[in-house]
This record gives sequence, structure tokens and C-alpha cells, in this order.
Amino acid sequence: MPRQSTRTKKPATKAAEPEKVEKVVEEKPQKEQKKRGRKPKQVVEETPVEDKMEVEEEQNEEETTTQTKADKQQPEQQEETGSDSEDGSDDEEENDLDLNALDESDSDSEFERDLNEKQSAAGIQANKYQNAAEEESSDEEDEDEIDIDDLDAEGEEGEEIKAISQARQTINNKQGLLTALKRFALGTSDKVPFAFHQSVVSKKVTEESIPAIDDDLARELAFMNQALEAARVGRALLRKEGVPFTRPTDYFAETLRSDETMEKVKAKLIEEATAKKASAEARKQRDLKKFGKQVQVAKQQERAKQKRDTLEKIELLKKKRKDGSGPSGATEAEDLFDVAVDNELKGKPGSKDNSKKRGRDGKESGGPNAKRQRKNDKFGFGGKKKYTKSNDALSSGDVSGFSARKMKSGGGEGGRAGGPGGGSKPKKFKPAPRPGKARRAASAGRR
Amino acid sequence: MAAVYKSLSKSAKKVEDTEENNNTTTTNGGFRKNKQRVLILSSRGVTYRHRHLLNDLAAMLPHGRKDVKFDSKSKLYQLNELAELYNCNNVMFFEARKGKDLYMWFSKVPNGPTVKFHAQNLHTMEELHFTGNCLKGSRPLLSFDGAFEQEPHYRVIKEVFLQMFGVPQGARKSKPFIDHVMSFSIADGKIWVRNYEIREVEKAKGEKDSEGNDIPEDKSSSKKRKGAPNAELKDTDVSLVEIGPRFVLTPIVIQEGAFGGPIIYENKRFISPNHVRSELRKSKATRHNARTEQVKERLGKLETLTAQAKAEKDVLDTRELFA
Repeated sequence: MPRQSTRTKKPATKAAEPEKVEKVVEEKPQKEQKKRGRKPKQVVEETPVEDKMEVEEEQNEEETTTQTKADKQQPEQQEETGSDSEDGSDDEEENDLDLNALDESDSDSEFERDLNEKQSAAGIQANKYQNAAEEESSDEEDEDEIDIDDLDAEGEEGEEIKAISQARQTINNKQGLLTALKRFALGTSDKVPFAFHQSVVSKKVTEESIPAIDDDLARELAFMNQALEAARVGRALLRKEGVPFTRPTDYFAETLRSDETMEKVKAKLIEEATAKKASAEARKQRDLKKFGKQVQVAKQQERAKQKRDTLEKIELLKKKRKDGSGPSGATEAEDLFDVAVDNELKGKPGSKDNSKKRGRDGKESGGPNAKRQRKNDKFGFGGKKKYTKSNDALSSGDVSGFSARKMKSGGGEGGRAGGPGGGSKPKKFKPAPRPGKARRAASAGRR
Repeated sequence: MAAVYKSLSKSAKKVEDTEENNNTTTTNGGFRKNKQRVLILSSRGVTYRHRHLLNDLAAMLPHGRKDVKFDSKSKLYQLNELAELYNCNNVMFFEARKGKDLYMWFSKVPNGPTVKFHAQNLHTMEELHFTGNCLKGSRPLLSFDGAFEQEPHYRVIKEVFLQMFGVPQGARKSKPFIDHVMSFSIADGKIWVRNYEIREVEKAKGEKDSEGNDIPEDKSSSKKRKGAPNAELKDTDVSLVEIGPRFVLTPIVIQEGAFGGPIIYENKRFISPNHVRSELRKSKATRHNARTEQVKERLGKLETLTAQAKAEKDVLDTRELFA
């Protein structure tokens, strides 16, 4: 704040002097930054900096005269100059300066410059036209400066450069921008029909509706809302002016994206949809499989239970018959399949309870599940496994697979078919019928 | 006859405002007629993505003129002559550096200004599989963020966009219907550009209350417009479908002239991608340096320890004992 007082109190004195020094000092890091960031030979970029330097020096010379005017015209500017000096003094102490304050501070010095421009109307115009001529000369100058700057930069600490780059001074010549705007702007005021420019400036600031810039969805939604609002407004305005808006359905013309691309997009969409569907299907199948096993096991158990129940019932019935009617034992076998009795049994509530109980018991003693059962069958479960497949007295005595008829028919084929499998389909392996007597005799004769 | 009359009346109006740019002429309304032509070209060394983006933009601008790659990156003022050669008053120049960074120059040609942007997050129309589509060369609605009115440099940028991306009324290859919106939004100090198709859909019945403001407006407009089918106007609502391309522009510098002249704006928040990369490399280098230093330290320690061990002669050493 100390500099503010000196400035406002005596603008006609040497208040401009320290400013100038400060400017030049701050200019250097900026240039360094430039050199670091961009290629050294970029003439177009570098030359304007030269211009700016020159202009500023001019400005500083004249500043003393214009200062009073500027202060009178804009009382707010005093505050800004205050912030300017403050920033300048705090520069070494704080790395993270208030950017807004800096911005304003830049602009106000630029504003002064514009006052100068107004006084000498040639100002920028002259600069602009000189520019081409200066480019050649400034190119060489630039190269010289690059060497010096590079040397300086090497001597300094990296930290320091970083800090400077954060607080580097930039140009924001607001007045210049506005004059430039005035020079080339098309009128978009209310007098101009909307169809002339077709631009809608939103009343809202879009950034305010974006919670975090990294949140893609929210950000795009905000952009879309802005565009949607513009589309609504624009449509209403265009309709008011009688400008055709909607494309009729029978209007065909070349589109921005070719049919080929749209086809691709469509294919992509379909592919995505099918992939999604397939994955859903697969998941469903997987779930079903997991669940299906349980169902299967349950069914098997149910069946087993049913079988056990019926067997028990029969057993019970048998006992009953035996106990109840001894003499009628002859018809026992028939009665076994007496449906009426069976039905009666089923109807009995007591028996049902009984069966249920049994069932539960059965479940407990039901033992291994189907998988285990199958494995037990296959691999055996406990006990001796050796010689299980070799013959013993019983198996060698077993002649159930033997068929005299097959043996009679003879032949290798018959022998092969003589096993237990062969018995099941005797017709297929039936040998050719015996030839007739004459033929047999003939064949015997040949021998 | 008509042509003569036209030219005469035109010249009469032209007298009215003398400080007219050659890109604009007045018509009966008293406002300037929008005459824009954009020269679209790139430097050498663009990647395929840059090229595709350029093609996309060229397809969107019926008043654009695509030209071959420009050879020089330093003598950009030559573009002024080139633009003059093609009767263009706008230049959209894609400058690629190092085969990865894209800078876009938007310039109003004879008198400026020139805006230089750094383009990031490029996504061309083709690689974005959006379902939107629109007529080639239809005039877009331009939607600007409210922030464009707040700062002078944004106002300049807005005007440049308006003249470049806005297809002038009655442009030669433009189509008579409006079916897309280009939106420019400012977020994070960058300008985000999006392109949407306007799709008119049946208005849902439930929405009628919320859209109450729009409906009376439409009614009045349809009344004014003679012979317009009212029913068609009333029951449609607008929805947007994105078309593409997408890109983000960081303004770097605004020059007063066309590819020259004093700088009137400079973005202090812009950090050159080269700088970013070098910082990244540096941070990696520090890691490596720390590691090598550690190794050195360890070796040094080892050395000193062995030296110490040698210096101290143990009494129970075999050499001492059986010397």
C-alpha cells in the first residue's frame, strides 16, 4: 500500500520511475518463460513482445502527464493501482498471488497506455505497419537475448522459475480489445434480424453449473443444457421471423456425416446392444446352471423318497395281510398290486405322517448326494478294490450270457456276438442260412 | 437491368458508412451484410487426427475454402496474401508442432484481430460414435456461454467465432433449414466446443406445464406467420443429439493485426505443453537422481568401513597371532 499514497498524492513527480524499473524487472522472467516454452525462432510470437516493450517505455515517459487525467476519469483506478503496487511488493514473499488482482493490475497499466494511444492516434496503427519491417531486425535481437536468458536461467533455481511463471505478467489491453472488437464486429443488436447472425448468448454462466470440471457427465450435461436453451430460443425467434426451421421429411440432401459413417455408427450400436444382450444371457445361463443343479438334486431325492415310501407301504401291506388273513396267503402276490388298497392307504392321514417321518429319517440316512453316489459307483467307496474285475468262482459259474442257439449257429461272428450284448439283438447277427442239400453236395464234390 | 439497379443501390448505401471493412456491406435494413469466407488450412506435420478435425470443420463451413498445407511456420503473415488470393476474409490455420501439439490460429484477414488457441482433447466426428447428423452446410445456431460477454477478450473471441463458424445468410452452398447447434462454453479458462443436432420430438403431455412459457410464444409467432401449419409448430419440442467433433481451445494470445501487430491479450493461465512435458521429465529426473545419490552414498560408506576395518588391527587376528 505505501506506493499508492505516493502515486495519488504527487503524480507529477518521479512516481513513474520506480514503476519503470519494476516493469523491466518483471519483463525478464516473462521472456524467459517464453523462451523456455516456445521455440526460439518463432518470429511472429516474439516480435510483439518487442513492440510492447517499446510502447511501454514510451508510455512511461508520458505517464507523468497522463496520470492525472487517468485518476480523474476513473476513481476506481486508484484502488487498482493500489493493488498493483501491493502485488509488486509482495511478489517475492508470496508465490501464489491473487490472480484476479494481478489481472486488474495489468489491465490498468494497459489502460494508461491506451490513453496515450488516444492522444497520439498513430499509436498502434503505426506499430502494426512497422511490424513487418521490424520482424527481420528483431529476429536477430531475439537470438542474442536468448543466449543471455538461457545463461541466466541456468544459474537460477528451478523453484524460482516456477514461482515466476505462476505470477508472470501478461498483457490484457482491455481498451485495445474493445477497439479491435468495434472495428470488425458485426452488429448483433436487437435491430438486426436474428436470422442474420443466429447466435444466442446464454444469460447464465455455464461454468457455474459444472460442479467439477473432471466430471465428464455433469460437464457435458451443462454444455448440452446451454445448447438446448439456445436451440429453444433460436427456434422461437426464427419462427417469429418466418424463417424455415424444421427440415421437411421429404427433403433429402447431403448430410454432414455420410451414410457410410452413419452405417458404421449403427453397426457399432447394434454390436454393443448384442454384446450386452449376450452377456446378460450368459449370466442368466450361469445362474440357471447353479440353480439347476440344486433343482436336479432335489428332484432325485424326491424320487428316491417316493420309491422308498412305496416300498415301505408295500411292506406294510404285506405284513398286514400276513397278520390279518393267514389263509388268504395264496393271493398275496395279486394283492400286492391291488390299487384299491393302495389308494386307501394313501388316503389315511396316519400313514402320511408316518411316511413323512420316514422321509425325514431317510433324508438323514440318505447319505451322499447324486454326485457322490456316482463317484462311489465308479471308483468304489472303501473296501477292497483289487481283483474286483477278475473272475471268481461265482462269475465263472455264471452262464447267463450263454446261449446254446448262438453256439449252434457257430462262426466267429456268432462267438463274438455270444456275449451279453449279443443276446439282446440276435436277429442282426443271424448267420446265413444253411445251403440246400444239392448245393452242399456240390461244394463237397468240389473239395 | 436488375443487376445494375442492385449495384447502384448498393453503392449508394455504401457511401453511408465509409469506414467499412471489405467483408461487410450494408443492405436495406441498415445493418451490415454478412459476407464471410474462411480459408481453412494447416501447417505441415499435422497428425491424422488434426487433419480429420480440419476436414470435419471444413465440412461444416460451406463458406470455407480448404487449401493445401502451408509450408512455413514462421512467416505466417504470408497467409494474408494467400487469403487475399482466395478472396477470403477469415483464416483458420492449424499449426502442428512436434507432431503432437495443435495450435489454431483464427484470424480476420486484412485488419485483424488474430486469436491463437491451443487445441486439446480433439475428437473427430468419425471416432465419436454419436448418432446425430445434420445437413451438410446448414446454418448452425451458435450458442455462446454467458461468460463470453463478461471479459473483453472473450467478446473478441466470440465475435471471431461468430464470423467463422456462423454460416452467413444466403451462403452459396448452405441449406435452407436449421438443424444443428454449435455451442461454445467457457469452463476452466478454456473454451469447449460442441456440435449438436436439433431433433424435434413430440412433446410429452406431462411436460406441457413446465413448457408453458414456450407455448404462448409459439402461438403468437404462428399467428404472425401466414399459412404456417399451426399443429405442426405446437406439438414439437426440441431435443439435442450430439454430432461431433469435440475440441477444447485455450486462448493464448490475441494480436491486433492479422498474423501480426501488437499483442492485446495474453493468457497468463496458459502453460505451454512443452513446459508441462519438461516439468514432467524433471520430476522423473529427480527421482532418478535421488536413487543414484543413494547408491553413491552407500558405496562411500562401504569404502570407509572397509578402510576402518583395515586400519584397526585386531589382536586375535591370525596374522597377529602367528606372525
